[in-house]
Amino acid sequence: MINYTENIRKISSDLLKSGKVDVVIGYKSGTLPGVNEPFLAKTPEDADKLVWDSQCRLNLANYLTHRKDKVGIVAKGCDSRNINTHIVERRISREQVTVIGVPCTGMTDKTRLKELAGGDILTLTEAGGKITVKTAKGEKTADKNDLLQDNCIRCLHRNPVINDIPAADPVPEVNTTRNNDAIEKIEAMSADERWAFFDDLLSGCTRCYACKNACPLCYCPTCFVDESRPQWVGKGDDPVDVRTYHTLRAFHCAGRCTDCGACEAACPMNIKVRLLTGKLEKSCYERFGWEAGMTSDVRPALDTFTTHDPEEFIK
Amino acid sequence: MTDFEPKIITFLCNWCSYGAADLAGVSRFQYPPNMRVVRVPCSGRISPKMILAALRKGADAVWVSGCHPGDCHYIEGNYYARRKFTLLKELLEYQGIEPGRLHFSWISSAEGVKFAQVANDVIAEVKKLGPAKHFIKKTPGEIAA
Amino acid sequence: MKIYHIDRESWVKGLAASAEVYQLVGPVREKDDFDFKVLDKGQMPDLTGTDTRLSPKALVFPKSEIMMTFSTDPNDPDCNIMKEAKKEYPKRAVIGIRPYDARALQILKMNYDNGDYQDPYFLNAYEAITFVGLAVNSPSSTDFSTSCGTGPFDEKGLDVLLVAAGEEGDFYAKILTDKGDAWAKAAGFSKEAGSDVSTRIEAMKKTAEEAISSKIAFDKIEKKTVLELFEADHWENTAFACINCGTCTYACPTCWCFDIQDENFGTKGVRIKNWDSCMTGLFTLHGSGHNPREHRYQRTRQRFMHKLKYFADKYGEGIMCVGCGRCVRQCPANIDIREICETMNK
Repeated sequence: MINYTENIRKISSDLLKSGKVDVVIGYKSGTLPGVNEPFLAKTPEDADKLVWDSQCRLNLANYLTHRKDKVGIVAKGCDSRNINTHIVERRISREQVTVIGVPCTGMTDKTRLKELAGGDILTLTEAGGKITVKTAKGEKTADKNDLLQDNCIRCLHRNPVINDIPAADPVPEVNTTRNNDAIEKIEAMSADERWAFFDDLLSGCTRCYACKNACPLCYCPTCFVDESRPQWVGKGDDPVDVRTYHTLRAFHCAGRCTDCGACEAACPMNIKVRLLTGKLEKSCYERFGWEAGMTSDVRPALDTFTTHDPEEFIK
Repeated sequence: MTDFEPKIITFLCNWCSYGAADLAGVSRFQYPPNMRVVRVPCSGRISPKMILAALRKGADAVWVSGCHPGDCHYIEGNYYARRKFTLLKELLEYQGIEPGRLHFSWISSAEGVKFAQVANDVIAEVKKLGPAKHFIKKTPGEIAA
Repeated sequence: MKIYHIDRESWVKGLAASAEVYQLVGPVREKDDFDFKVLDKGQMPDLTGTDTRLSPKALVFPKSEIMMTFSTDPNDPDCNIMKEAKKEYPKRAVIGIRPYDARALQILKMNYDNGDYQDPYFLNAYEAITFVGLAVNSPSSTDFSTSCGTGPFDEKGLDVLLVAAGEEGDFYAKILTDKGDAWAKAAGFSKEAGSDVSTRIEAMKKTAEEAISSKIAFDKIEKKTVLELFEADHWENTAFACINCGTCTYACPTCWCFDIQDENFGTKGVRIKNWDSCMTGLFTLHGSGHNPREHRYQRTRQRFMHKLKYFADKYGEGIMCVGCGRCVRQCPANIDIREICETMNK
């Protein structure tokens, strides 16, 4: 991991010095242990603040939207797929972006870290695939692999799919088959159980919109939640309004979601919102053989069609 | 449930299914008056927001009907619609909405008979399900009386 | 000023007795964190957590609150007349609120009860509450309350201050107001603590305050002009990571902005007051389509300018932050008010 940081700094500094890019989007160390902050490096000196470890949970493609300058961007596998999506959807042009690709071994889940620590985390260190957290009560160490985010556990593309300057050699992919256990568990329930399950799942939602704002796919000039003529959804804590919001948010990501997990990482109430987007991701694969963001020249699943798409449900 | 008359919000494509409804009427094919028709330019115009809006207002079912694949007035609108509906239906059923609440069909303007037939089928299915129970925005207690 | 000693047994009995007169509210475990809830009969507040995830502001300023009802039915004699929604404000005792959170609700009150405006919804709820606070013996690493004019033992917003007495489950209860006294009477607490108790509480307070390592300073912000701070060139950098979600504003005990919405149901309708967040673009979007805070950094700037400058200038009672650290812990992008305060204070 230290290796990654050094390489990222060196590559970014060179890019900035040569004028190939105007800025580099990466991470700097956060003010709290276990949290890093997205950071815009504008000078070679800034590049020395860049870091990389297993606490880079947000998707940096989110910070690319509408940029007019030449951008270097540090990207893990899922971020790179969203950069592709951005290029396809013309949020940024391919020529503008220089991807500094980070082969990713997964990000730690904030809740799992909290559970490991069992209290206020004072320091967090990472070495040799182990994470050590220190609290007032003492120190605890665990394998990083036991602390991964749910989306990282099932990740199929740890290596960036668009990679101009690799920050390190590719890592072996750990999964070869799609793991849909979480979704299938819900599918196996009865209809009423499923309705109740999602009512409970979403019950803590405060409508802070961290899930949509952390999502690189959410860039509409006016989000449907802000539309007023007509107003599609109420803004309060009514459970049907909350459900409408989450259903439509997930649907807007259909065929575009790379399962980067930024939404869940951002949610302050720890709501597993991926259980909605994940269903659509699964459907897209099963129905249309589609995986989002793998290339920068194919339109996403809902923006294309074939004449023989499934239609057994249409009368 | 025998006296239950469902309200079914029906989105009909202007170029095909709306014509089919017209033809069914002119030809005096019988189907019960449970439909509330909304004419749209194309089935591709239908956004999930509209379908949810109908459910939120208490519709017992939603039925969307457009041109047969290949016959779209706008060449390909219904192909996009087909993909959209595939995913929306799966997402809503996954959350616990009964399959019988959402109906899709391709009916050309010459198929007045098919229109009446599908209408009868949809109504029969929704009647069997009974009134909608999910996704309805409830009136607050303060004014419900 | 009386200080009672309450042992475990009298605590349980006392709460049950006060529940006859008061509706009890306290922190309870909700899914994976704590939240303030009305306690069921016999249910004890769970006082093992340092902070609830969301602040207790929802007790006086709910996430969604129906303010008025109306009818648009021409046959209704009250057609098109807004009527105040019928509400009840039972006498409540909030058990285990943290001292800085109670102070935060006082700060909210400055906005909701001043020379210009009195918000009846807020005030009715606030006045009905007896605040039975619990001192913080071991502050979290993100607690910077002592820099914000409050602290782990602050008595300003409380009616009773409970201090964990050291022995298993025992409390000292320091009665601070008549309201607090009435609650203690209803609970039947009567055993006065020994004469050295004040010294003991003082010592615990000192230990707790000294355990707070996180500090902020805003002395220079006070002296700078609004324009100087507003036009400073750091804002775009400072706000770069911010995704403009409402996590901080909704977790914050002192953020008080709201949005008013009318919702129609046929010919009837309600007027609702919802939490709102200055982080969203819609917050300042004009009817004309113009938005004075069009860019994301402008909204981030607004939040910190309001908390650290505008509020302080307007009321002269310090900043609009009590240092509970919720926003610092919950921000998905690590926007840290302590760091921003430092930048502004340079």
